[in-house]
Amino acid sequence: MESRPKKLTKGDIVKSMLLWQFFSHANYNYERLQATAFAQCMGPVIKKLYQTKEEISAALKRHLVFFNTEPDFGAVIHGITIAMEEERANGAPITDEAINSVKTGLMGPLAGIGDTIVQGALIPILLALGISFGVQGNVFGPIMFALVLTCCLVGITYSMWMQGYKLGRVAVEKLLEGGIVKDIIAAAGVLGCTVIGALAGKFVTLTTPLTVTIGKTVVKIQADLLDKLMPGLLPLGLTLLVFWLLKKGKSPITIMVYLMIFGAVGSFIKIF
Amino acid sequence: MELWQAIAIALMYYISDSPWPIGMGYWVLQRPLVAGFIAGVILGDPVTGTIIGATMNLIYLGHITAGGTMPGDMALAGYLGTALAITSGLDAQAALALAVPLGLLGTVVWFTRMSISSIFVHWADKYAEEGNIRGVMLMNFVPAQILLFVIKVPTLLIACLYGPDLVKGVLDFLGADILHALMVIGGILPALGIALNLRAILKGSTIPYFFLGFALSVYLKLDIVAVSIFGAILAFLHIQFTRGGENRGISA
Repeated sequence: MESRPKKLTKGDIVKSMLLWQFFSHANYNYERLQATAFAQCMGPVIKKLYQTKEEISAALKRHLVFFNTEPDFGAVIHGITIAMEEERANGAPITDEAINSVKTGLMGPLAGIGDTIVQGALIPILLALGISFGVQGNVFGPIMFALVLTCCLVGITYSMWMQGYKLGRVAVEKLLEGGIVKDIIAAAGVLGCTVIGALAGKFVTLTTPLTVTIGKTVVKIQADLLDKLMPGLLPLGLTLLVFWLLKKGKSPITIMVYLMIFGAVGSFIKIF
Repeated sequence: MELWQAIAIALMYYISDSPWPIGMGYWVLQRPLVAGFIAGVILGDPVTGTIIGATMNLIYLGHITAGGTMPGDMALAGYLGTALAITSGLDAQAALALAVPLGLLGTVVWFTRMSISSIFVHWADKYAEEGNIRGVMLMNFVPAQILLFVIKVPTLLIACLYGPDLVKGVLDFLGADILHALMVIGGILPALGIALNLRAILKGSTIPYFFLGFALSVYLKLDIVAVSIFGAILAFLHIQFTRGGENRGISA
C-alpha cells in the first residue's frame, strides 16, 4: 500500500473523455461491440493509477469485456468507472465484480434513455428542420444540422462524463429513479411526435389519378373525394399501415421491399 | 465525373464512418442531408446536392442503430446516390428510389466490417495480457480503420467512375414509365422512415400529438419550424399537466 494518494488530474479525465468521443465506434464489432473502445479510453487512467505489470494487465482485461451503450448519455458510466478505479488504486476494497456490475448494470438503462432522446427525438427533430430547409435548396439546412447536433452531443458527453466522475454510482442510480429523466423522455416524445406528424403530412406523397364516371359527371377520386375527406389521407393511411407492420414484427427491409413492389405495381396499373 | 471528384467522394464515404471527425461520422456526416450537400460541393452543385440529400434523408429519418443492427447504409445512399443522381440528371424523388437499393447494398459492408473487427478484439486481449496499454489502445482503431479504408474507398471509386453511365443507360432503356414508378416509390418510402421513428416514440399519451402535427401541416400548411415551436410548447404543458396526476412533489 502506498502512502501517497494517487490522484487523477482534470487533464487525465478530459483526455480519456476525448478518446471516447472520437473512438467509441472505431472498432465496433459483433463479438464485444464497444469493448476495445472502453479499454482505449481507460488507457490514460490506467497509466496514471497503476504501476506493476500485473495491475496494469488486470485493469486492461477488466475493461476489455463486452460493453455497449449509447455513447453520449452512456458517458456517465465512464465517469463513474474512472472514479471507482481511482478509489481502488488508493486501496478502497472495490472488486472487479463491483466495477463490472456497475458497467453492465448501467449500460442497458442508459442505452435506452440515450437512444430514445438522441436517436428517437433530438436527431429526427433537427433532421426535420434541416430537411425542410434542404428540400428548398437552402444549404443552411445541412450546415445548421451538423453544427447544432455536434454541439449538443459533445456537450452531453462532456457533462455526463464529468457528472459521473463527480457524483459516483449512488447519485446516478438516484437520477435514474427520479423524475427528471422521465420528464425529459416524455417531453421529447411529445415534441418528436408532433414534428414527425408534420413531416408525414409534408413528405409522404401518394395520390391517385383514378376517376369514376357516374352518368355524365366525372368524379376525380383524389380531388373530389379523398381531399374533401382529409388532405393527405392516403399518405397518412400508408404511414399508419407501415407502423402497424413494424409493430407486428416485420423487418424494415421487408417493408421496404413491399413498398417498392406496391409503388411499382400501382404505377404500372395506373392507380397511382 | 472527374477522377479527383470520384476520389473525394470515395474518401468522404470512408471518413463518414471513421472516428476522425470528433466521432460525429454516424451522427452527422453519414446523414444523407449532410452527405448530399458535401457530394454537391464536390461536384460543383451544392444546391442540387442538398435538395437530393434532404429528400433521400426522409427514408432514413428513423435510422436507429441499437445493439449493432443496421437497416441500410445511409452514407452509401447519401454520397454515391447523390453523385449518381447529379451526374445522370435525376430529380430528387427518383433519386430517393435509387438510394434504397444502394443503402441495402451497403449493409454488406456493415456486416463484413462488424464480423472481421471481432478478430481485432483478440489482438487487444493479447496486449492486455502483456500489460501493454499502448498496444491495447492502438488495437481499438488501427486495424479496424485500415480494414474500413480498404473496403470502402476502392469500391466507391469504381462505383463513382462507372456508375453514372450505367444508371443513364438503364434509365434510357427503360423509359418514362419507369421514371414515373420511381417517383411513386420515392413518394411513399418516407412512410417507412417516419414509421420507424414512431416505433421509438409513439406510445400512450403521445399518440394524439402525431395526428396534431399531421393536421397542422396538411390543413394549416405550417412549416416544420412553426410546428416544432408548437410542439415545444405542448411538450412543456404536457409534463406540467401529467405531473400532478402522479402526486409528485416539486423536485429538481
